[in-house]
Amino acid sequence: MKAAVLILLTALPCPPGAARAATNDCFADGVAAYRLGQFARAARDFEKAAATRPAAGTLVNLGLSEWQCGHAGPAILAWERARWLDPFDARARENLRFARHAIQVEAPGLKWFETLSGWLPAGAWLWLAGANLSLATGLMLLPGILRRPKAGWHQAMAAGALCVFLFSLTANVGVLSRTRLGFVLEDNAPLRLTPTRDGEVTATLTGGEPARKLRTRGKYDLIRTEYGTGWIDRGQFGLVSGQ
Amino acid sequence: MRFVRCQFLLLFALVAALSLQAQAPPHPPPQALLNLQVPGPAADVSSPVTATAAFDPPVARVGESVFYRVAIDGATVDIAWPGAIPAPPELKFGRRSHGQLMQGLMNKFRPLASFLYEVRATAAGHFAVSKFVVEVRGQPVRIPAASLDVDNSAAGPPARHLTLEISQTNVFLGQPLRARVVLSASPSNTIEALREIQFNGDQFMSDKTTMRQAIEMIWRHGRATPAYVYEITLTPIMTGTLPLSAQAFTAGREFTGPMGITARVIIPDGPPHYVFLVSNPVQVNVRALPTAGLPAGFTGSIGTFALGPPQLSTNRIQVGEPVRLTVAVRSSGDLNRLVPPTLPRVPGWEIVADQPSGFSYTLVPLTDTVRKTPAIPFSCFDPAKDSYVDLTIPSLPVTVTAKGLPGDVPAMDAGFASGPSLKLSRLSPAPGGPAASLEPPQLRAGLVCLQTVPALAFLGWWQWDRRRRFLQAHPSLVRRREARRALRRERRRLRAASRRGDAAAFVRHATNAMKIASAPHYAAHPQALVCAEVLQQLGGAERSGATGATVRKIFAAADARFAPAPQTPADWPALEADVNAVLLRLEERL
Repeated sequence: MKAAVLILLTALPCPPGAARAATNDCFADGVAAYRLGQFARAARDFEKAAATRPAAGTLVNLGLSEWQCGHAGPAILAWERARWLDPFDARARENLRFARHAIQVEAPGLKWFETLSGWLPAGAWLWLAGANLSLATGLMLLPGILRRPKAGWHQAMAAGALCVFLFSLTANVGVLSRTRLGFVLEDNAPLRLTPTRDGEVTATLTGGEPARKLRTRGKYDLIRTEYGTGWIDRGQFGLVSGQ
Repeated sequence: MRFVRCQFLLLFALVAALSLQAQAPPHPPPQALLNLQVPGPAADVSSPVTATAAFDPPVARVGESVFYRVAIDGATVDIAWPGAIPAPPELKFGRRSHGQLMQGLMNKFRPLASFLYEVRATAAGHFAVSKFVVEVRGQPVRIPAASLDVDNSAAGPPARHLTLEISQTNVFLGQPLRARVVLSASPSNTIEALREIQFNGDQFMSDKTTMRQAIEMIWRHGRATPAYVYEITLTPIMTGTLPLSAQAFTAGREFTGPMGITARVIIPDGPPHYVFLVSNPVQVNVRALPTAGLPAGFTGSIGTFALGPPQLSTNRIQVGEPVRLTVAVRSSGDLNRLVPPTLPRVPGWEIVADQPSGFSYTLVPLTDTVRKTPAIPFSCFDPAKDSYVDLTIPSLPVTVTAKGLPGDVPAMDAGFASGPSLKLSRLSPAPGGPAASLEPPQLRAGLVCLQTVPALAFLGWWQWDRRRRFLQAHPSLVRRREARRALRRERRRLRAASRRGDAAAFVRHATNAMKIASAPHYAAHPQALVCAEVLQQLGGAERSGATGATVRKIFAAADARFAPAPQTPADWPALEADVNAVLLRLEERL
């Protein structure tokens, strides 16, 4: 019995540890390939590392490799994903500014609550909302339960926590709204009127162009861009949230 | 008279107007339209199919290679060719080839299919392939017999065949090689054209634009001989040892396309005699390109190339003014297979490849901060060196000015004007904090519910505390609730005693039940009550009636246990219903 418990305890941390080691190997291989100028190989390595354990640094490097390969769309998507995971990543922000200026595409137009949701990582907003709801509820109810008089600071803190909770609720809505945001991956990607291979092409999109996914049908996504709404092949469009 | 003349003219005009019609479009006869739709002669598939068979040459030595050739006036797809030929065992049939062409016969085309076997005789003698029948479009066609004399003393001309020459037999995948098909002139110095030249082997891709044909002198067996030569570039598309052979039909004087003639030959007159010929097979060893050390800018070009120094049309330009960059490419081989580099995206420059796509570019500076033209990465694989060669077009110094431009143009390029702030970052040295996935936790319902658990716990605790305080303030509610619970328990015991026929237990539990049901009204312990206090809970009429009597009887029976000789009422089973009625009345008041 003891042996079984011991095996279980030693085996449990193994899969994440092994995965992390593999990720680090891919990351190191990617860095080495990039420094040798083998950008296509570097992109493959970074992509593998990001698929195993997505991280902001890996995605920044993936974007750099794709950019050096001349793939502006995948590069912009990788940097946007890096900012999705870590909004404070300065490298991703600088690279996005550079890339958008170089290929003359616009940044996605965000609503106020979407902009707000970009101030912190997506997961942080959920925990912030949960913590502040608990804090506000606790501060309102605990003094009464514990037969203590409600002090002024109790009420002030409860009001503050309630405000932060409501604030973070809007940010959470922004996060959910931004999950539909994506970017065109290929240059001259056709935007079609119908979700068919022979559908009429209503616009041709540049790689890195932002768009919002509305729905899916077969192997096509209905997206809304500044050039209109239409269907695009799913392989030519990637969502920031990776869905 | 004048009036009559006018009337006559008017009448003539009316009649003429009635007979006039609008101009109709030309209406060609049906035959003319048919001629427009079918401009060429039709294919003849209705004439009787004929076949010929012969050995080439008809006389050979033992072990010498000869060809058994069958020609049929039909399309290959229509012919059900047998798997084996009825031949004597001394004739060893080897490699089989077949081809087809459309022969022009006056005003119609007719397909001609030919089947060719390489045959070797293992013994001397006279051998014959007997006649046999094949099906052509479902109709039997007789293939005539053909004979071969094998005689070691014979000294006839060898079988007619093509010669295939390959520029290199050890190449890399994608490396172009030159294939040369040669048909030597006959002993009478007559030369024939070749038609339907094909290279057998799906592993090679031919480039028709590189085709060259000529009649020229070649060296064969130590002497110059006139020959028809057909050259083309082939590209291997698979690795390994690949067999390659050529086949064609002789076509008399049917030469097509431009051709150089540098030899004195006789071109035959009269209609062509189509003979199917094949070449010797050649083995080509194809290796894959090395994957290690693949440089930037490799576009798949294989060969020995060298770039000359890049030339700029001018080195002093204004912002937005195009400048032309030209690079000369030198090669010892074919330049058609050279793929120009992919244009890089360079901040501050717009690069456009000139048409036709080659090594000439138009560069447009977008800002006056640039000091040199962008380098254009390019490389190729040199099979002679067995390695990749870096042929990057280097940068050239330029002076870019913004003089004379409208004042708002720099503002449009404010990003570049701000200089170093807009540039690609360096590599991130570490992966950074990993996330489980890109999917936000907001989409996981379980995690969202988990966030509300503490708040719900607080609310539950608060609700419980409120209830506790309420009950603390109203103890009678607790007593009544406990009394109801105890009453239910006593009634179960009462029923059990009744079923057992235990009179003493019945009386005891009935008494206890009545006391329990009455106790909350006095805020007293149930055992402290007596019969009068139970009766007090009944109405006046009930107290003096049957209900009161039942209570008294039960209490009297209970008190009798203190008597010297305890007695139980003899009619106690009949009291059970009355006791239940009393308990119901008391329970209603709880």
